[in-house]
Amino acid sequence: MPTNARPTEIAIVGAGPAGMAAAIRLAEAGLRPVVFDLNAIPGGQIYRQLASPQVDARIMGQEYLRGRELLAAFDRAAIDYRPDSRVWWTQREDDGYSLGVLQHGRTQHWQARRLILASGAMERGWPFPGWQLPGVMNAGAAQILLKQGALLPETPPVLAGSGPLLYLLAWQYLRAGRPPQLVLDMASPSSRYIEPLRRPRGAWLGRGYLAKGARMIAALRRAGVPVRRRVDGLQAEGGEAVERVRYRHRGRWHVQSTGLLLGHFGITPEPQLARSLQLAHAWHHSQQCFLPSRGPTLQADESLWIAGDGGGIGGALNAEREGRLAALAVLDTMAENATATPSEEAQALRRARRRDLAARPLLEAMFRLPDDWLSTQPDTTLVCRCESVSRGELESAIAQGGAGPNQLKAFTRCGMGPCQGRQCGESVNRLLAGRLGQSHDAVGYYHIRPPVHSVTLGELATAQQQ
Amino acid sequence: MFRRSERGCAAPRQVTVWLDGQPCQVPDTLSVAAAVLHLHGWQGYRRHHDGSTRAPLCMMGVCQECLISIDGRPNRQGCLEPVYEGMRIERQQGERHAD
Ligand SMILES: Cc1cc2nc3c(=O)[nH]c(=O)nc-3n(C[C@H](O)[C@H](O)[C@H](O)COP(=O)(O)OP(=O)(O)OC[C@H]3O[C@@H](n4cnc5c(N)ncnc54)[C@H](O)[C@@H]3O)c2cc1C
Ligand code: FES
Repeated sequence: MPTNARPTEIAIVGAGPAGMAAAIRLAEAGLRPVVFDLNAIPGGQIYRQLASPQVDARIMGQEYLRGRELLAAFDRAAIDYRPDSRVWWTQREDDGYSLGVLQHGRTQHWQARRLILASGAMERGWPFPGWQLPGVMNAGAAQILLKQGALLPETPPVLAGSGPLLYLLAWQYLRAGRPPQLVLDMASPSSRYIEPLRRPRGAWLGRGYLAKGARMIAALRRAGVPVRRRVDGLQAEGGEAVERVRYRHRGRWHVQSTGLLLGHFGITPEPQLARSLQLAHAWHHSQQCFLPSRGPTLQADESLWIAGDGGGIGGALNAEREGRLAALAVLDTMAENATATPSEEAQALRRARRRDLAARPLLEAMFRLPDDWLSTQPDTTLVCRCESVSRGELESAIAQGGAGPNQLKAFTRCGMGPCQGRQCGESVNRLLAGRLGQSHDAVGYYHIRPPVHSVTLGELATAQQQ
Repeated sequence: MFRRSERGCAAPRQVTVWLDGQPCQVPDTLSVAAAVLHLHGWQGYRRHHDGSTRAPLCMMGVCQECLISIDGRPNRQGCLEPVYEGMRIERQQGERHAD
C-alpha cells in the first residue's frame, strides 16, 4: 500500500440508490463513510439529474420522483461524498482494500477497511449488423440526454430491443410530445405468453410491473405508434451514419427510414471492479449474464459487499434495500459482540427483498433475449466495436484452437480496446459456449486488470506529488 | 439530432463553451458529449482506426466512443465531463483513435 494513502473505515463506490441507502444507514449508526461516484451529482442511473430536474414529472413518471426523499436524506447525512471521482483501481490488502481514485485530473490513493461496491448496471452489448454506425445509440443513453438536458430526438426514432427501459423511454417520448415512429420488440417469443401462466405466484407478485407495461403499450398504440412484436432480425444500414433500419417480422423483412435507432437489450451488472478483484462469478440463466457471487448478507469477499444492480438486476427499490442490508452487515462485523441472528430490521429487509425478487423471473422470462442470436448474425457483424472484430473472425479463431476468452483476445484483439471488453465480453462467452459445447461458467470471462477507467500518465504522476 | 423540449421543463442556466473555436450556449447540466450531440449531432466525432465513422453509444462511460479534446487535453471521455463556462472543446474530427 502506498504510504500516502488516505485511510477510511468504509468506502462505497456508487451514489445510486444502493450506494446512497448504504451511506445513509451507516451515517445513522454514527459512521462517516466515503462515497465515490463518477457523476457530478448523486442519483445513479434511475435518479440521474433528479437533484435539479430538467424534465417535468409528467414526462418522466412517478418512479423518477420517488428518489427525492432518498436524495434529501443523502444530502442531510454526515457522509464524505465525493462526486466526479472515478475509482479506477482497487486491490485487496491484508487489512482491507486499496483504491485508486481519479478526481479532477488527479489521482488519490485510499485505504478502506471495508468496501461496498454499488456501481450499478450498464446496457448489454448486443451485436447486430450496423450497430457501430453513428445514429445507433442505446435507449438508456437517449434517456440520459432526456434527464440531463430535456433533449429529445429531432426526428422520430425507431426503438428496438427488449426490456422495461425500452417501453419506458417510448412512453416518456410520447408524454413529451415526440413519440417514436416505430417500436420493435425483440423479446424471445416462446417465453412471453407461456411464462406468466407457469408462474402464477410470480405473476401475482409482478402484477404491478405487468399492469404498468400493459398501460404503456396501450398508450403507445392509442397514439398510433406501431409496436411490432416478435421481431427476430435487425440491421442498421447507411453510409457514414444510419439511414434505415431493416427488421424481420413474421418471417418477412421490412425497411424503415430513420436517422436514429435506439437499441436496448436489457442491463447487466457493470463488471469491471468485481472482475478486477477476481471475485467469483456465476452465469445466471434467467438474467442471461454473469453475476458476482454473494452470500445472504451480500458479502462477496472478506470485508467486501456488493449492493444493488451491480450484484444482480433487481431494480431501484431492491437496490435501496440491498444498500441498507449491506450497511447492516458492515455494522455487524464492527460490533463488539456480533450476534449470529440478524436484527429485526435486517429480517424485514430480507423479507421485502425476497418478495421483490420473486417477481423478477417473470419479468426476465417476458423480456428474454434469444440465446442463439449471435450465432445467427451475418459473419461480418462486429462483436468487438473497439477493435472491429467480427463474428466471422472470432469463429475462425475458435476453429484454429482458440479455446477461451483470453486466448481469443490474444488471437484477435477482441476485448483489448478501451472499453476493456464491457461490450463484447459476454458475446465472446456465448460464442465459445455454443461452439465448444461448454457451459458459460466453464468458458469464463476475460481477465480484467486495472485501470478499469482510462487514466493518463500525467494523472498517474499526480499521485506521487500529494 | 437532439433538441431541447419546449414542454414542461425548467429554464436551464446556460453556459458558453467554445466548440472548435466558436462560442455556443448550452444548458449547464449537459455533459460535453451531450452538448456536442445537441449542437452538431454525431458529426465530427473521432473516427475508428479502420477509418469508419463512430459516435457516442452509451453516454455513461462504457463505450469510449465519445473521446474528444477538452481544454487542450485530447481523448477525454466527453460523456463523463460536465460543461462549464469558457470550456474549450475540439472535436477530433477525422482523427483516429490514439492508442
Ligand atoms: C442507462 C440506464 C438507465 C436506467 N434508467 C432507469 C429508469 O429510468 N428507471 C428504472 O427503474 N431503472 C433504470 N435503470 C436501472 C437501474 O440499474 C436501477 O433501477 C438503479 O439505478 C440501480 O441502482 P444502483 O444503485 O444499483 O446503481 P446505479 O443507479 O447504476 O448507480 C451506480 C453508480 O455508481 C457509479 N459508478 C460505477 N462505477 C464507478 C466507478 N468505477 N467509480 C465511481 N463511480 C462509479 C455510477 O456512475 C452510478 O452513479 C437504468 C439503468 C441504466 C443502465
Ligand atoms: S458515450 Fe460511451 S463512454 Fe462516453
